[in-house]
Amino acid sequence: MTSMRTNLLLAIALLVACFGMAAHLGPEFLGWRGSRSTGDILNVVLGDSRRLFASQFFTKADEYYHSGYYPSMFDNKSAFQTAHIAADTGAVNSKNEGDEHGFLGPPRNWIDRFGRHFFPNRHTHLDEDSPDDLSGSEKVGEILPWLKLSADLDPDNVQTYTVTAYWLWSRMRNVAEANAVLHEGLRNCPKSHEILYEMGRLYEESYHDHEGARNVWEQGVRYWLQLDPSITGGNRPIRELVADWITRPTNLAPAQSGDKLSMEQLSTHLAQLEENAGNLPRAIEWLEAAKKVSLTREPLQDRINLLNSKLGQELNPLLKPLF
Amino acid sequence: MKNAIAVAGVVVKELYRRKDFYVLFIVTVLICLVMASVNIYDDTHIARYLKEISLLLIWISSLVIAITTTARQIPAERENRTLIPLLAKPLSRTELVAGKFLGCWLACGLTLLCFYVFFGALAASREHHWPLENYVQAALMHWCLLGIVVSMSLLGSLVFAAPSSNATICAVVIAGILFVARHLDQVAVTRPEPFRTVAYIFYYALPHLEFYDLRDLIIHDWPPVDWEYVGLAGLYGAFYMAVFIISACLVFRRKAVN
Amino acid sequence: MSIILKTEKLRVEYRSREMRQATKVAVNGLDLEVSAGEVFGFLGPNGAGKTTAMNVLLGFVPPTSGAAYLFGIDVRQPIARQRIGYLPELTYYYKFLTAEELLRFYARIFGLSRATTDRRIAELLKLVELEPAAKRPIKGYSKGMQQRVGLAQALINDPDLLILDEPTSGLDPLGRMKVREIIQRLKGEGKTVFFSSHELGEVESVCDRVAIIHQGELRAVGRVAEIRGNHQNLENAFLDLIGYKPQPAILP
Repeated sequence: MTSMRTNLLLAIALLVACFGMAAHLGPEFLGWRGSRSTGDILNVVLGDSRRLFASQFFTKADEYYHSGYYPSMFDNKSAFQTAHIAADTGAVNSKNEGDEHGFLGPPRNWIDRFGRHFFPNRHTHLDEDSPDDLSGSEKVGEILPWLKLSADLDPDNVQTYTVTAYWLWSRMRNVAEANAVLHEGLRNCPKSHEILYEMGRLYEESYHDHEGARNVWEQGVRYWLQLDPSITGGNRPIRELVADWITRPTNLAPAQSGDKLSMEQLSTHLAQLEENAGNLPRAIEWLEAAKKVSLTREPLQDRINLLNSKLGQELNPLLKPLF
Repeated sequence: MKNAIAVAGVVVKELYRRKDFYVLFIVTVLICLVMASVNIYDDTHIARYLKEISLLLIWISSLVIAITTTARQIPAERENRTLIPLLAKPLSRTELVAGKFLGCWLACGLTLLCFYVFFGALAASREHHWPLENYVQAALMHWCLLGIVVSMSLLGSLVFAAPSSNATICAVVIAGILFVARHLDQVAVTRPEPFRTVAYIFYYALPHLEFYDLRDLIIHDWPPVDWEYVGLAGLYGAFYMAVFIISACLVFRRKAVN
Repeated sequence: MSIILKTEKLRVEYRSREMRQATKVAVNGLDLEVSAGEVFGFLGPNGAGKTTAMNVLLGFVPPTSGAAYLFGIDVRQPIARQRIGYLPELTYYYKFLTAEELLRFYARIFGLSRATTDRRIAELLKLVELEPAAKRPIKGYSKGMQQRVGLAQALINDPDLLILDEPTSGLDPLGRMKVREIIQRLKGEGKTVFFSSHELGEVESVCDRVAIIHQGELRAVGRVAEIRGNHQNLENAFLDLIGYKPQPAILP
C-alpha cells in the first residue's frame, strides 16, 4: 500500500512532467503550419469547415431577401442557382432559369396543400416597393447580418464583400459602411478586381469621385490582366498594358476565361467615365478591350462606331450638321 | 378526471421546482442579449436575425424540456418507488397516464408563455410594434406541437426501459419529422419499390409537425394564418395526442409496477 | 361480521428467468377471509408469496386465476381502494413536495373536501410528530421521518382497512412500540388491520388471527392460540408448519 506522501509526490512529478512537456512543445506548435491557435475564434473552433457555413449563411441572406419563401434541397432550385441578392448587383453571371414564383409546383396531396398555409407561400423581394406589407426598401437591411456572418466565416470569398457593399451603398444608402466593407475585403483579398470594381462604382455613384473611380478601376484591370502569367511588365502604364493585350491572340488564361464579365464591366465603366470626361479615344480603347471578352459584341461595336463618328465631328466641325 | 388533474398539479410543481427550465431560460436570454448587442453595420433597426435566433433557442429549449420532463415521469416513479403508494390509492392507471400527460403539457405551456413574453419584448425593442395575433397564434401552435411531443414521449417512456434512451430516441424521431417528414413523398417518388411504399406509409402515418412551425411567418412579418386552418391543425394534433395516449394507457395496463 | 378482504383460489404465476422452468408459481390457490375489526397477521418466510398476494390485493399485479375482493369489490377496480390505506415496506415519496403537500395530494385523490383535508392533515401530522417539518421538502427528511410520512399518508382517508407491509422493519424499539400503539388504537376504533411481518413476537401480541403461507400455499390460518397449539410460542409453531428442522450444533 502506497502512502499518502508517495501518492502526493507521484502527482507532483506528473504535473512537472506535463508542464515541462507543454513548455517544450509550445513553440513547436505555434510554428506549425497547420496551427489554428493564432487565428480568430471562428478559425480556431471550426477550422476550414467554417467555409461550409459561410455559403449556407450567404444563401440565408437570399432567403431573407425573399421573406422566407425559398426552395429547400428537395424543391426545384433552378430559379435560385445564383442568389438573387448577388444577381441583382449585376456583378455575377446569373444562372437562374425557372419559375421563381411556383418552384414548389402544384400541391402534391392534401398534406402538402394543407401545410402550405403555415409557411411563406408567395414570391416577394424585400426591396421592391409594392402594396405588399412584406416589401419596402427600409426592410432590406435584414439581409445584412447573414452577409456579415458569411464574410466573417469565409474572409477569402470575394462575392460576400461585393454583394454586401452593393446592398449597403445602393439600397440602404449606407455609403460609409459599404466603403469599410470593401476595404476589409481588400485587406483579406488583396488583388481582387471584383472588389475594386465595386469600389469604383461606390466612388463614382455615391462620392462622385471620378478620379478615384478611374484609379481604382484601372487597378482592377491591371490585376485582371495579371491573372495571365505570360503578361510581363505589370507596372507599365495601364494604357500600354491594355493595348498590348488587345493585340494579342484571343486565348485567355484559364483564370481570365472564368471571369470575363469582370473585365467587361471594368472596361465598359472606364469607357463611360472617359466618354463623360470627353476623352473619346480612350473611351474607344476601353470599349475595344471590353469587346474582346464580351459575349454581346454588337452593341459594343455600335457604341464604338458612334464614338468614332463623334470623334470625326470634332476633328471636322464642318461635318457636324450632317449628323 | 379530478384525479388526473391532481396528478397534473404535482407534475407542474415538479417542473418549477427543478432547475431545468430556469437554466434554459437564462441561457436563452443571455444568448439573445449578446446577439442583440452585435453591431451590424451601424443599423439598429435590424430585427429579423434576432427573432430567428431567439425563436430557434426557444424551440430547442421547449423541446428539451418537453422530452426530458416527460421521459422521466413514469420510469422515475417506478425507480423511486413513488408509484406504489400512488397506485394504492383509488387511481386507475389510465388516470395516471392522463394526469402525467396533462401535467407535462400544461408545464410546457407555462414555459412557452415565459419564453414568448420574452421574445415579444425583445422583438418589440427593435421593431417597435407588437403583432399580438401572430404571436398568440405561433405560441398556440407551438403548444399543440409540444402536446404531440409529450404524448409521444409518454408512450416511449412506457415502451423503453431507460429514460435516457427514450429521450434520445424521441429527440431523434422528432428532429427527423421536423426536417424530413414534409418531403418524404418527394423522396418516395425517386425510390424503387418497396422503399417507395415504406416512404409513403411513413409520410401519411407520421404526425406532420411542420404544420405547427410558424417561425418563418413570425420572423418575416407575414400576416397571421386563417384561424380556420389553425383550428384544423389543432384537431389534427389532438388526434395524434389521443392515439399516443391511448396506446400508452394500453401498454401501461400490462406493465409491472415494481 | 362482514368480510372486508377475501381471496378465492388466488393463483399468480410469473414467467421465470431460468430457462428450465417456464413459469414460477408465486401464489397457489390462496383462500383467505378477513373480517371487519380484526387485526390479521400474514406470515411466511422470505419468498413465500406474501408480497405477491398483497400486490394482487392492491391491484398492482393481476391474478393468473382466482379472484380477490376488498369490501366486496373486485380489486381490479380502482374504487376497491377507496376505503383502504397502504403502507409499503420501503417508503419513498416525492422529494420535491413537503409532507403537507403530499398529504394534500393524496387527499385530493380520495376526493376529500378541503375542510376535511385540512383537519386530517393537522391530526395526522400531530400523530406522527411531523408538525415542525411539515413545510420542508421530503428530500431533507431522515429515514424515520419518511416512514412517519408513510404512515400519515396511509391514514389520510381514515381508512376502514389498513394494509401494512412489514410496518416495523428497520425501526428502533421505540418506533416499533409506536406502531404497535397505532395498530391497537385503530383496532379500538373498529378498523381492520392486515399486515405482514417477520416479528413473530409482535404478531403474537397484537393479532387476532394469523395466516401462514409457505411456497405460495396457505399452511395454516386461525386464531393465534390455535396456531400456537402445543408449541412453546408462535415462532416454534411457525417453524414447524413450514417444515424447518433445526440443525444440531457442531462442536469444535
